[in-house]
Amino acid sequence: MGELTMGSLTTGPHRAERSSGRRIRLPLPGFAGRMMAPGLLVLAGVSLLPFAAVVVMSFSRVHLLGGLRLEGAGADNWTRLFTDPDMAWAWARTAGYFVLTVGGEMVLGTVLAICLWRLRHGRNTALSLLLLPMFVAPVIVGLLGRFLTDSTFGLYSWVLGQLGYHGDLMGDKTTAFVSVTLMDVWEWTPLVTLIALAGLTSVPSSVLEAASLDGAGLLRTLRHIVLPAIAPVLLVALLIRSMDALRYFDIIWNTTGGGPADATKTASVKLYETAFRFFDFGYAAVTGLLMLAVTTVVARYFVRLLDRKGLAR
Amino acid sequence: MTASTTGAAPLERGSRGSRVVVRVLVATALIWTVVPLGWMLLSSFKSTAEVTAATPDVWFGPTLDNYRNLFGGGNNLWPHLRNSVVAAGCSALLATALGALAGYGLARTKWRGKHHLSFWIISTRMAPIAAVVLPIFLIFRVLGLIDTLPGLVLAYLSFNLPFAIWLLNAFFAQLPPALEESAQVAGCTPWQAFRHVILPLTRPGLVTTFVLCLVFSWNDYAFALVLSGPRTQTLPIAASQLVTQTGIDWGQLTAIGTVVVVPMMLVGLAVRRWLVTGLTMGAVTGE
Repeated sequence: MGELTMGSLTTGPHRAERSSGRRIRLPLPGFAGRMMAPGLLVLAGVSLLPFAAVVVMSFSRVHLLGGLRLEGAGADNWTRLFTDPDMAWAWARTAGYFVLTVGGEMVLGTVLAICLWRLRHGRNTALSLLLLPMFVAPVIVGLLGRFLTDSTFGLYSWVLGQLGYHGDLMGDKTTAFVSVTLMDVWEWTPLVTLIALAGLTSVPSSVLEAASLDGAGLLRTLRHIVLPAIAPVLLVALLIRSMDALRYFDIIWNTTGGGPADATKTASVKLYETAFRFFDFGYAAVTGLLMLAVTTVVARYFVRLLDRKGLAR
Repeated sequence: MTASTTGAAPLERGSRGSRVVVRVLVATALIWTVVPLGWMLLSSFKSTAEVTAATPDVWFGPTLDNYRNLFGGGNNLWPHLRNSVVAAGCSALLATALGALAGYGLARTKWRGKHHLSFWIISTRMAPIAAVVLPIFLIFRVLGLIDTLPGLVLAYLSFNLPFAIWLLNAFFAQLPPALEESAQVAGCTPWQAFRHVILPLTRPGLVTTFVLCLVFSWNDYAFALVLSGPRTQTLPIAASQLVTQTGIDWGQLTAIGTVVVVPMMLVGLAVRRWLVTGLTMGAVTGE
């Protein structure tokens, strides 16, 4: 979805026409085209149509009561975007989450993958247990997080109490921010571990033996052989986690609801609130389009990096 | 997996000290991962008073009260369970079927714009849910699809379908075109060649796609929050609503959490072999 959508659908056929010159070739010919048609039509219905709708909404005032009605609002919603300090803060928080969650997951996931790789016994059992959080619904992660950090009976609050900390984790701005970050790290570090481990197992052992014969120590081997070898797979993990980090919503909404004092209100939370609490769909649409633009830029950047590594197809 | 019997790769052997460090780190990670889940499971068998006791306790008389209340009491979970099964199941099934067709077409087409097309497909998957759910809400309102299961199924397709196409495309691309070419020489139509030669070879891919789509839509919260209503609430919504009602029954909440989480863990681990391909959407080749 997004500008690339429109771009890709129009530039492709045009270029084909121009270069072949003599005969105009239809875009999706033959059996392959017929096989693709149903899926692509449905996909267009659930992505292009909403995209068009969100663009229209961003230039309108949307009335929901007494039947849906759109009223032209010019660029009002857009100008508001650039004069709204709340929005700027929401984006600053989103950036903070992005760096903390994605950074934490990449580092912890890679370290853990290297540990598992060096583990001689029980690697498969350990991996199976470590993967479990990925399958937990984010809502449940959020609710479970609330349960564990409850100031009167939460298990984690009790452990922290034994260590001398007695505050309310979800009541303080900093600790709430950190807690919500850690919940995402808990859920998604396993994905990075899994991907990195797949990369590690394909590092040929002959290269490692050669390195050890040359007298390279553990750290040097990691730095000069292992990390470069798994860099492309790590980039894929980074891409996937980045896309998710930008739209982080479920956990936050079910733990803090954006509070305390807006400390955990990211762009997604702000968008949801704007639309479904204040019913300001036009402004929410603008926020959505901005998120889409940021996602597209980030994705393009990573895909280009991957292309350079020869991995994207 | 790589360690041979005659001698492990040097990095895997390591000194005694580094082996201890590795074990400590793995053990720590295991504790950090498993404790919340274990605590949820344990708490779901506790009585209300025990769940909210100030000091955590592992020794208690287990009771099924929480589950009994969920499935038989005031919070009747059955309709929610049915909604989740139908919405997630149908969406995963549809995505796998359409994804198999489109993924195969994409793998075999020689169209020049293919590169753009596949990037468009994957970019719909990466679009922020919040930005998609907003216009879908308005469109569904006009079409009368709010609070209907077909509506939820369709909405889930917006993230399941691109994923299914992309993933199955990766599976089909691994199969040499010579396979169906020789079948066609033997007299099959292109469809028969696909149906009887290619599709059976892709069974692991189909199962993996179905399972992962099932997990994604079963776990969805944002779409269901906006698009479902009293008649179509799914399990995640039911779970979050236990909180907003006056006072939180944490015992029931841990029980519903267990009900939501355990089936997906089981099916997820069942396709573990293909998880890397699946979760990286085919971008990592080789595994």
